[in-house]
Order: sequence, then structure tokens, then C-alpha cells
Amino acid sequence: MALNRRQFLTGGLAVAATSMGLTACGGGSGGGGSSDGTADLQFAWWGNEVRNKNTAAAIDAYTKANPKVKVSPQPGEFATYWDKLATQTAGNKAPDIIQMDMAYIAEYGKRKALLDLEKYGADVSKFVEGSVDSGRIDGKLVGVNAGINTPALMANPKVFEKAGVKMPDDKTWTWDQLREVSAEITAKAGGGIVGIGQLFNDAMLSAFLRQHGKELFTESGLGFEAADVVPWFDMLVAFGKAKAIPAASVITEEIAKSLDQQALATGKSAMYMYWSNQVEALNKASGAEMVVLRFPSVSGKATDRKAWYKASMLWSASSRTKYPEEAVKMINWWVNSPECANINLAERGVPPNTEMLAAVKPKLSPAQTAVAKFIEDIKPELANTPIAPPPGGGKIGDIMARQQSDVLFGRTSPADAATKFVDEAKSNLK
Amino acid sequence: MSVVSELSHIHVDHPKSAEARRAQRKAAGRDNKAGYLFLLPWLVGLVVITIIPLVASLYLSFTDYSLIEAPTWTGLDNYARMIDDARLHKSLEVTFIYVIVSVPLQLALALGVAMLLNQGMRGLAFYRSVFYLPSMLGASVAIALLWRQMFGTDGLVNTVLRLFGLDATTGWISDPKYALGTLILLHVWTFGSPMVIFLAGLRQIPAMYYEAAAVDGATRWHRFAKITLPLLSPIIFFNLVLQIIGAFQSFTQAHVVSNGTGAPSDSTLFYTLYLYQRGFGEFEMGYAAAMAWLLVVIVGAATAINFFASKYWVFYDD
Repeated sequence: MALNRRQFLTGGLAVAATSMGLTACGGGSGGGGSSDGTADLQFAWWGNEVRNKNTAAAIDAYTKANPKVKVSPQPGEFATYWDKLATQTAGNKAPDIIQMDMAYIAEYGKRKALLDLEKYGADVSKFVEGSVDSGRIDGKLVGVNAGINTPALMANPKVFEKAGVKMPDDKTWTWDQLREVSAEITAKAGGGIVGIGQLFNDAMLSAFLRQHGKELFTESGLGFEAADVVPWFDMLVAFGKAKAIPAASVITEEIAKSLDQQALATGKSAMYMYWSNQVEALNKASGAEMVVLRFPSVSGKATDRKAWYKASMLWSASSRTKYPEEAVKMINWWVNSPECANINLAERGVPPNTEMLAAVKPKLSPAQTAVAKFIEDIKPELANTPIAPPPGGGKIGDIMARQQSDVLFGRTSPADAATKFVDEAKSNLK
Repeated sequence: MSVVSELSHIHVDHPKSAEARRAQRKAAGRDNKAGYLFLLPWLVGLVVITIIPLVASLYLSFTDYSLIEAPTWTGLDNYARMIDDARLHKSLEVTFIYVIVSVPLQLALALGVAMLLNQGMRGLAFYRSVFYLPSMLGASVAIALLWRQMFGTDGLVNTVLRLFGLDATTGWISDPKYALGTLILLHVWTFGSPMVIFLAGLRQIPAMYYEAAAVDGATRWHRFAKITLPLLSPIIFFNLVLQIIGAFQSFTQAHVVSNGTGAPSDSTLFYTLYLYQRGFGEFEMGYAAAMAWLLVVIVGAATAINFFASKYWVFYDD
């Protein structure tokens, strides 16, 4: 019954305004139809040191302004976050508010585990164009973009300096040039430093495929065949031979490490593939000011590199939450209030709400300002936004990493690895 | 034996009248009630923690269950899919190698150290604790993390090797040639608990056998082979069965060392780790349940073979 009244309020605002008057509206926005607005919200996210601090501060600010709402934080690490979420969901104990990733949103959204946020009044009206739809699964908004992101190569100028190598022009470089620069750094820097610590992941495969007219995923499943990824594995071998990337065993270990232990943060590599929002955490962990570089293209023209914006993460709510109104209200506050924006700044990515971006811009650190500018600058280089991986597609990076490891250890050929990779990726899709 | 036979006498003498019989039944019922009451904590545990999940997992193994949605019945589909699952076969290979290599090595080491400690040295309690310590820590996350650091490319082991002028550039846990071997080493290192059991077993062997053998001029090897081994064989058997079952279920080491991926190149993909990946990583809990039941069958078969073979080598001195 309470639920219906709330739906009524949010669904037909005009009706509510005329028939109930302003008091009803005030009551509604002040806490919602479910009794008196008291709620105990479980709030789950994965993060890093900076984000954990910001998130705790934002939660404090929210509960201070909304004393009837209790928020129980559930911070986590990305690697274990998903096991925990799956278990909680199975046990009917999913957190009310869930920080979601593009890799998993279809997995949960298509299985109806996520709340239809618009039904409970999610407000994305001020969001920049193209930043909302990534959270839509089967037409329903199940995730609100928490920050705009784009794949990039982070470069540590100190390591470039040490190696005596000039920072490359990222508007014209090709994959081959990236390999050459990286190999040069490895050769000149010494001390176990390599050119690029991590490059061959699923995001870069996606870029590579798009530059060759394919996609990672299409609506009908996997967007490429084995023949399309043979050049990718060949490129991996070339990078390995040139010592542009670390030794095979080091790559294996890198995957298991957290950001602050990875090669770029510890000064063991000059470049590394990261998402643009991670620059803040990287600077903090390394003590350096990272430079954000465009990933290369096949043709050597930045406008051909088929870049894209990604939701760095999304805000979702459990479809079984007892407090749908309060959960959505808090998400709205998170993405649309200057107060929260000022706490989080651009740590989760550039705010998709244009007003929030304008509000926080003066406060951004130099690195975040650079990222915001980077996101703005690459607009002419954007192609279509890749679709969310379908259920069973979220692990494609793991499958690829296994095959790559086999190739680097010389246990299989690029052609065989490509076939195995495609077969396994296909059989995993549901 | 005697207690049981006395108890069985209690209800053997049949009372004559119906009334007496009723009274007796009542008393017996009261006895049973008390009995069940004492059993209750264990019974609750058995039902809630063991039997219900057991039945549930058997049911789930015949379903397609994503954790997020309710399960749907698919019959034997999960079991049929196992036939073509290359990673499943790989995980079985890894697990069998792990069990077959690490268990005998661990037991041999445990027996060796137990015999050393059994010589009646000073400070025995101290050494016993020191050797036992790894088995309390071995399966823990902290130790697995420590091993990850130690055996990494730039870890302690390689640092030491480089001090000796060796060109140690590969990671012992991140090169598929060595990763499983490193985990086997970790398992062997946790020899403490079978060692303590061996030590207790060695204490039970009467010293007079050895004295008699010494008088007859038996060598140390003969004394070991003809006295220690046969008299200790029930203990060896006990350790063997337990350690094999335990090794099949190993999970933590591989999960932590490879961060749950079975890396490098699936060389540490333990069966349980793959089961976990399927269930929680890929939302295939139905398939994972079927895998769990396959493991039950495998462990059951291994134990049955063990018991069957024990007839030929285990010597019971009674």
C-alpha cells in the first residue's frame, strides 16, 4: 500500500501536485511513502584508499542531513566484491545500494536482480548526452552512471626522464610506435623497469577490434571470430619479444596485485593501461603526476581510434530492497547534489551531470582537471558506445589473460590461442 | 564391549502384566528423550549444516541455477556438459598430481621428523610445537599471501638465489612450470598434524621389541622395516586416508596465490577452485553443484580403494 502511494507520487507528479497539494509533495520528497522515511540502507562499493575515504565522508553527510536514514557501509576490493555480491544476492541479502560495473550489469539486470530506478524517481535529466543509456537493460534504467570514464594509457614522466625518452605524441602514434617507445624505455631505463606494465586487457582488445571494424560484443553475442584476434596475439608476441612488456611471470603476478602494488605505482613501468578516473589513486600511490595518453590507433590518426565513454561504475539498487524510495533518493542525492559532488569530485570519473561538473571543476586536483579536459578533448575521436557485455561475458578478460599467458610462456601459438579464446568465450555466453 | 552388553540386558527381561509393560515403555521413552536431548546440539548441526545443504546441492546439480534467479530443472545436462569441459579435465589433472605427489611426500616427512623427535631428546615439547605450527597456519590466507610474496619474481627466494649469483628471473608461483610444485611444497611443509599422530603411534610400540631385535643383531633399517612400519601401519593408514581427502579439497592456497584465477595458465587450477569460479564467478551454481558431487564420488572412490588396499599392508596387532 505504501509502495503504491509512492509510485503514485513519483509517477504522476502533476496529479499529486494538484490533488494533494504542496504538503503531500513535501512529505513525499522528505522521506517517501514508506511510513516515515526511516530506512536502514546497506551500501556496497569497491574502491581504493581515496574512494573509501570520500565515500565514508559522503555517507556521513547524507545521514546527517537525513537523520532517519541509517546507512551501513560495505566497502570492498574489486576482486572479491563480485563473489560477495553473488552470494548475498543468492541469500536474499543483497545490499540496497550497489556500486555496479558495466561488466556485470547485464548479468544482474537481465536476471531481474536490479531495481527499475526510474519507477522510483531516479533523476538523470541533467546528464550529458550518451551517459545514461549504458545503465539501461531491456529498456529499464537499472544503473545510474556514477562517472564518465575512458580507457587511457597512464604515463609516468619521471620514468620517461630517467630513461631519457621523449614523451610520445599520442595523437599520431600507432600500436607499432607504442611498442618501439616501450622497448626503448625497457632498454634504456634499466633496473627492471619496463616500457608498459599492462596493455593486453579486454578494454584494449575492444579498441583494437573496433579499429578493425569489429566489436567485443554485439546484440547477438560475441562480435568477433578467431581470425580477428590472431593479429592481437601476434602483437602480444611482438611486444613480448621486444621486451616492451614485462616477462610472462611478472604479468601473471601483476594481475593479482592491487593498484598501489602494480608496476606503474611502484615506478617499475613507464606506462600502463588504466581507466581515466584512476589517475587520482595512481598519483597518490606513486607520488608522481601521471600524464594521460590516448591509446594508439592502427592508422596513426587519433580520430580513427574509435574511443568511447564508459560509465566508470554505476549506482544500482537491489530489486528486493525494502526501501526502494530511500535507495533511489540517496542515489539521486549522490549524482545530483553539489554537496556530494564536492566530496567525491572526479574520483569515480567525471560527473555525468553537467551542473555537478561545473560545480566541482574549480576544486579538482590538477590531475583530475587534466582528466576532465582529456574527456572533453577526445570528443571528436569517439565512436559508438560498446554495449554492456551480455550475461557470461563479464569474464572475457580472464579467458583472454589465460590464453595470453600460454602464448607468452611459449606453450601455444597465437593462432591456437585465438581459436581457444573464441571457443571458450562463446561457450560462456548464456 | 561390556557396557554395551550390560545395557542390552536391561530391556531383555519381559515384564508380565500389560501395566508393567506400559510403565516400562514410559521409562524407556523418558530415557530416549533424555538421550535425544543430549544429542540435540549435534543433531541440529548435522541436519542444518550437513544434511539440508547436501540434499539441496544434489537437487541444484540437476538444475540451471544462476544464484540470482530461481533454479530451473535441466536433468542430467550439467553432468553431460562435464564430458566436454576442457578446464574441468585440466583441473582434475592438476588436483590428482597435487594429491598423488604431495600426500606421500608429506607423510614421509612427517614420519621422519616424528622418529627423530621420538629419540627422547631434550626440549621435545618445544620442537614438537615448532614443527606443528605450520599445519595450523598452512591453510590460512596469511601464509598463502606470505608465500605469494616469497616465491614471486622479486620475492625473498629469488633475492636469496641472486645473492648466490644465480640468474633467478622467473616467479616460482607465476611460471606454469613451477607454480604447482611450489604449492605442493607448501602442502608438504604443513606436515605437523600427521607428525603428531605418528609421534603418538611411535610411543605405543613397546620398547622390548626393539631390544629383542637388537639382541638378535637386527640393523637399524631392519628394525624400522620389520617393527616400526608394521606396528605403525594402522596409523599410517589413518593419516593417508585423512590427508588424501584433505588434499582433494585444497582450496585456500591456490585461491590466494593465484588470486582465484588458477594462474599461470591454469597450472594451479585446483578442482575446488574451478568449482568456485563456476559457481560464484560465472553464475553457474547448478554446474558447480554437479561438480561438487563428482568430487564426492572421486573422494569416495579413492577412500574405498584405500580401504580395500589396506587389507594387504595394514597390520593390526590384536
